[in-house]
Amino acid sequence: MSNFFQLVRNEQTKLYSQLATWIMLGILIVVVLGFAIIMRTADSFIGEYDDATWKQDLQEQSADIAEYDPTAPEIMINNYRIENDMKPEGTTAWEFLYQSNFMTSVLSLLTIIVAGGIIANEYRWGTIKLLLIRPATRTKIFFAKYASVLLFALTALIVLFVFSWLFGMLFFGLGGDGTTLQVQDGEVVEISIWTRIAQDYGLQLVKLVVWATFAFMISAALRNGALAIGTAIFLMFVGSSVTMFISDKPFAKYVLFSNLDLTQFTTGYKIIEDLTLTFSVVTITVYYLIFLIIGWVLFTKRDVAGH
Amino acid sequence: MTEPAMQLIGLKKQIGSKLIVKGLDFDIQPGEVFGFLGPNGAGKTTTIRMMVGLIRISEGDVRIQGKSIKTDYKEAIRHVGAIVENPELYGFMSGYKNLLVFSRMIPGISKDRIDEVVKLVGLEKRIHQKVKRYSLGMRQRLGIAQALLHNPSILILDEPTNGLDPSGIREIRQYIRRLAEQENVAVIVSSHLLSEMELMCDRIGILKNGELISIQQIQNAEEDTPAEVVQINCPAAHHEKAQRLLQEEFGVTAMASGEKLTFPITREEIPSIIKALALADVEMYGVAVERKTLEDKFLHVIGENVIE
Repeated sequence: MSNFFQLVRNEQTKLYSQLATWIMLGILIVVVLGFAIIMRTADSFIGEYDDATWKQDLQEQSADIAEYDPTAPEIMINNYRIENDMKPEGTTAWEFLYQSNFMTSVLSLLTIIVAGGIIANEYRWGTIKLLLIRPATRTKIFFAKYASVLLFALTALIVLFVFSWLFGMLFFGLGGDGTTLQVQDGEVVEISIWTRIAQDYGLQLVKLVVWATFAFMISAALRNGALAIGTAIFLMFVGSSVTMFISDKPFAKYVLFSNLDLTQFTTGYKIIEDLTLTFSVVTITVYYLIFLIIGWVLFTKRDVAGH
Repeated sequence: MTEPAMQLIGLKKQIGSKLIVKGLDFDIQPGEVFGFLGPNGAGKTTTIRMMVGLIRISEGDVRIQGKSIKTDYKEAIRHVGAIVENPELYGFMSGYKNLLVFSRMIPGISKDRIDEVVKLVGLEKRIHQKVKRYSLGMRQRLGIAQALLHNPSILILDEPTNGLDPSGIREIRQYIRRLAEQENVAVIVSSHLLSEMELMCDRIGILKNGELISIQQIQNAEEDTPAEVVQINCPAAHHEKAQRLLQEEFGVTAMASGEKLTFPITREEIPSIIKALALADVEMYGVAVERKTLEDKFLHVIGENVIE
């Protein structure tokens, strides 16, 4: 076991010895900063609602939203606030933090880049020949590299969190009582802000892990980093459109894309009606395991021949 | 007899329907420098990759210190240090960090050992620089350092002198000899540079089209006077007389072909032979001395390089 730990440590050493890794984390921070600046300077930015006019403001907001989506959950939340006399806080660091959850797609991008390169690069550099002639089995090396990818994702997530929080405080200040409103099964409910954050990020991370594993599989199987990164990013971005196209086909519910967006179970906005949370979780797990097994088998069985 | 450091037992590699390595059987002893010689495409690299488990063995086995690389990989590979083809290391890390990373993969390598190896290959001054700034010679040294980290009893070097300048080649040669003689390491070297192999190996196995066609023992220059081949140009009528004289007085058998007589002899004997032949009235129109090198032997054994 300590052997495995050393292998993971080696992978981390190699990863953070590369300038590219630091540049990627730098980009993540810049994106968070950029988002904070855009939100702060946007026309619709409201730092604090006025005691006298806030109900009116919310009604105007709802009317605007209703023009393009009359069933939007924001309208229900606004109505709930007006009925229950709950003045909104305006944008706080909390809100910024969970708004930042869309940046997990940047995070996914970075993780895919790392996952797609971590095995293929060893082949490209020729160092695979040194790595695989040590008393560590290929299986161990495979999983050490995989663990290292997940560790990178976790590190980047922490960076995203810390800097979202930091910029959130700087630009919007703390405030609020730590609760927020959310529509669940057609009803507005009050939930802790941490629940909201964990939920939003957690569901996004499922996607991240699946696509990173996919990139890792291609990297291990075909030893081509560019191909691994390219296909994984492509599939990640076209995924939801594919669901739209195939939604009326009988096999649609078995397709990975249809299941991958788990937020459909919290918002209730489902493309394929008969999907259930359990079904989706099982399907995703099956795909995930298939990716890992294909990668593992090919990595351990294939010859390391010359160029 | 001691246990061989490495044994190849009926080693075969088949890719598709093509047999790349057609059954190799030989042993390599501790303290021996074994050369692996062959033209391109003969299966040298494939064999070396099978020795270290990078390529799967189709048939047969490789035993390292008695442990099979197929069934006992971890125990077998523990004894092996290798550079396969070029010394490719992580360019974005310092030489030291490269060694540190590799040392973590094998339990029981101390920091002192890393320093020791660095000193052995003479890289102390540049070890903390990034490897991408290293010259090829320095990389080759670092490659050897990483191969020696865990005190292997077998060192495998694929084309170790590739791309090195003459002084670099000489240094590598000295390391290899020292390791074999002082540390009793079995060294396996592959090369297509014949003259180079002759200088550093004890034995040379010649590989052609996946078969071992000859194993040559290399004589040490200090122990034996190098054999010369003398060629005498004289009329065919005199051949018999000359051949009889050579056989009786010097115990050598001369081969006749056309107007030429060819026979092997030590350098010291050449003047007395010429004198004896002249006194016996053998008409000589020319005497040529040629040294038979490994290259001649190699070309002789290998014939034309035909890739099957």
